[in-house]
Amino acid sequence: MTQQDQTDLALDPDLMAYIDGGLPPDQMAEIEARLARDPDAREAVAQWRHFDNLLHQYGRTADEMPSSLKIASLERELGRKLKKRQWRATLLGPGLQRFAASVVLFAAGWGAHSLYESGMSLTTESHPYFVAPTLAGHSVVTLASYQSTEFKGDQMSEALEWMSEQMQHKIESPKLERLGYQVESSRLMTVQGQPVAVFYYRNPEDELVTVSMTPRDASQPDYRLRVTEAAENKLAYWSSNSLHYVVVAKTDTASLTTLAAAVE
Amino acid sequence: MSLKTELHSHIGSLRRYALVLTRDPVAADDLVQETLVKAIAKADTFQPGSDLRPWLFRILHNTFVSDLRRAKTRAEAAAEMPEPVSTECQDTRLELKQVLAALDQLPEAQRMPIILISLREMNYAEAARTLDVPLGTFMSRLGRGREALRKIVQGVGVGKLAILKRKGGGEQ
Repeated sequence: MTQQDQTDLALDPDLMAYIDGGLPPDQMAEIEARLARDPDAREAVAQWRHFDNLLHQYGRTADEMPSSLKIASLERELGRKLKKRQWRATLLGPGLQRFAASVVLFAAGWGAHSLYESGMSLTTESHPYFVAPTLAGHSVVTLASYQSTEFKGDQMSEALEWMSEQMQHKIESPKLERLGYQVESSRLMTVQGQPVAVFYYRNPEDELVTVSMTPRDASQPDYRLRVTEAAENKLAYWSSNSLHYVVVAKTDTASLTTLAAAVE
Repeated sequence: MSLKTELHSHIGSLRRYALVLTRDPVAADDLVQETLVKAIAKADTFQPGSDLRPWLFRILHNTFVSDLRRAKTRAEAAAEMPEPVSTECQDTRLELKQVLAALDQLPEAQRMPIILISLREMNYAEAARTLDVPLGTFMSRLGRGREALRKIVQGVGVGKLAILKRKGGGEQ
């Protein structure tokens, strides 16, 4: 084999992938058949692989090195920074911008209009301020299935942790799973300067339930559970010592009361 | 996998990479620390959803390349590998020394792909991204580097290996 042949051999991506275990079995067999016919190539490949193994084993000896407190501390700090970065990107991402635009359009336009036409207004004095965005958000999700989400269902623990931090109040999962619902997404909105955490749940029958929580200031009224209607939906709202709650669903009063009881 | 778990697993990978680059555990940990400090400072440039590992490896790689002091550390540390306990280990150690010495003779552009792939932490595309070169360039450097490494080791030959073995024996 000439020097040129050997260089050509080294530029064969299939041979490299063979050494690095990146070929499917049928291609592996092809290469092995080729190597069986070419002793020079076989020797070159064996040596490349051997050197690769030596370097790999040497790298693994790092696992025996004592752990470093300084590295562990930097690792934690980097983890915190990256998590913050993740949240910020999610908040400023196109998904949330589309969502916010949809809510504004809904509240300001067709959605508010339809509610007004049906005898309900988002700004009516009969509902406290934290009800309107929940109702709007519920209808937006119902009507706009293409919406991307702020936190996906499988990010619930991260969502709760982040929302609690933003709201400066620990909030718990609405726990509607025990009623057969699965969390689909969640997001944080700001209404009149107040954070409102909104959770979207759906059951196997494709019924949507929207739950929201917002911190309650001691100076604010303490709302007792009230169930009312809004267009095709029913909504329940009430206050605890530290939070206001809203639950919206297209269901009957008894079911909504059960949902409300499960939330708190 | 949570971000915390993912990051922790990458730290182990970074230490392996750093050890092969520096050939010295203390210098390796220094390099990882320096990498993490830079990563913390650059955290806002990381694109969530993209792969964290090539991002961290790229920072470590650039830190190493730009830090010329490490060349000296590497040269001094090359002879300070752990003592072998068996004849088989002795042979492996000598071979490893030979390969590391040959690796040092390669240009940086060929050495880095060989080291990155030997760690078995990432595929070719990720490794190419880490080194900030197109995949085709990466593959060509990897192939040429492997062949050049083989030629250098072969050039050392049986005679040189025997001398190294005798030296190795004399150090016991």
